[in-house]
Amino acid sequence: MTSTLRAAPAPTVTADVAVAVRGLTRSFGARAVLNGLDLEVRRREFVALLGRSGSGKSTILRALAGLDPSAQGSILVPARRSVVYQEPRLLPWAKVLPNVTLGIEGQDADERGRTALREVGLEGHENDWPKTLSGGEAQRVSLARALVRQPELLLLDEPFGALDALTRIRMHALVVRLCQRHHPAVLLVTHDVDEAILLADRVLVLKEGRLSLDRPVDVASPRLRSDPAFNELRSLLLHELGVHEPTGPTGPTGPPS
Amino acid sequence: MTLTTPNADVRETFELTEAPDIGAREVEPAALVQLPTARPAPHPGRRRSRFRGSQRLLGVVALVAAWELASAVGVLHPQELAAPTAVLSTGAHLVANGTLESALWASLQRVFWGLVIGVPAGAALALASGLSRTGENLIDGNVQMLRFVPIIGLESLFVLWLGVGQTAKVAMITLGVVFPIYINTYAAIRTIDPAFHELATVIGLTRWGRVRRVVLPAALPGFLVGLRLAVAVAWLLLVFAEQINASSGLGYLIVEAQTYFQSNVIVVCLACYAVLGLLTDVLVRRMESVCLRWQPGR
Repeated sequence: MTSTLRAAPAPTVTADVAVAVRGLTRSFGARAVLNGLDLEVRRREFVALLGRSGSGKSTILRALAGLDPSAQGSILVPARRSVVYQEPRLLPWAKVLPNVTLGIEGQDADERGRTALREVGLEGHENDWPKTLSGGEAQRVSLARALVRQPELLLLDEPFGALDALTRIRMHALVVRLCQRHHPAVLLVTHDVDEAILLADRVLVLKEGRLSLDRPVDVASPRLRSDPAFNELRSLLLHELGVHEPTGPTGPTGPPS
Repeated sequence: MTLTTPNADVRETFELTEAPDIGAREVEPAALVQLPTARPAPHPGRRRSRFRGSQRLLGVVALVAAWELASAVGVLHPQELAAPTAVLSTGAHLVANGTLESALWASLQRVFWGLVIGVPAGAALALASGLSRTGENLIDGNVQMLRFVPIIGLESLFVLWLGVGQTAKVAMITLGVVFPIYINTYAAIRTIDPAFHELATVIGLTRWGRVRRVVLPAALPGFLVGLRLAVAVAWLLLVFAEQINASSGLGYLIVEAQTYFQSNVIVVCLACYAVLGLLTDVLVRRMESVCLRWQPGR
């Protein structure tokens, strides 16, 4: 099931495609943040979108979420989409379970919500107020709220950005596990190169309004930072992002020119 | 000074401007300071609050005693301000012959109807204004303009329109209640975090779902602030309305007592107003603590 957000000449899309974006352009004043961007995400594919701050990563994500009526171009996305933001965005006046089931109709809504909470390891927190949750717990509730809708496209807008390093590692594992079970197409917006390589099947770099790099992540699983392939891709991405990292004393894996 | 890291891979160099060297001055180590900490006590909180409570009570007792003393030695004339003991016996007398009860009842009814009509009216206007642009254009300008009209000044118009009966007084209290409810509720709706509206859009909440799950709960704290103000305004307007032209109520008792130089009756009525105002305020606060349990810091 695919819905079109924009009236445009329908591009030919195969059944395997979850996201098909053609010529996406978005200007803020005179500045074109996105300039004729093309993007395709296959079903069940986990794609990480990297870019420097202000490069328009979140603009793409907002457009795919259907929140930007001013974007131009053609956007094809599934009807069932969920977004997880950097901040959990839980309604403070609703307890955990109604936060998860927000907007879900039907008699089994509560049961589905409980199942989703169990999946993120928050069984027994159904009747807690959001103010009593830690940052990591709140973000897991937000993840449960996204998954309970059984999204075909999961949009992650730097969802680990505000978490402490230890919680982030556990959240990475949780997201990988959940995506393997529910297999939505995922677009993860992040500025963390390591995170992108650890989680994604494919990494994209957004530069000057277009995708300047599109590379599959060919790093053996489990992905380890000590893997030379990991480091090679890492250097490539950092270079593409304009960061010239110093090489460690153990061996040069400098950016290819 | 040009700074180059020893690493050959770093191609960028940083130009640093010369700054005066401030880091090298020797500082004599000073003596350590002792920070105040709590001493272990069996019930520290309770003891302190009891001590504080008794001190506050002592202040009130001292004031009443000074008042009684001033009356006893003749500094305060009974026609200007009756002694506390005289006020108490007058109060008992007024209760015994039913005067106070019927006056209280009349006053309470006016405030009750004023709030019962005014609070929903103010809330409904705020919702209409906060939920639709058309509503805002039609309502908000009018309310913002009218709220600068002194309501007490409208008394004459109300009497012209509605006569001197109960209706005019209730109408004035109603009008006075509408404004604080409207302004606070409307402001709360307008300042809802846009992130929540965005969430509602992404999640696909229906319009009614958005109102019920996002707008109404978000507006509740503002509404309750408005309610506390509204209750205070209601009592204030009641006193005023009852003293202008009434044939019943606490304000009427006051005016009557003024004619006969009965300062003791006046003080009894004022005390009633104070107690009633306090009780309604406590009631609204209790509502706040129940309805706003979700707020951080409660």
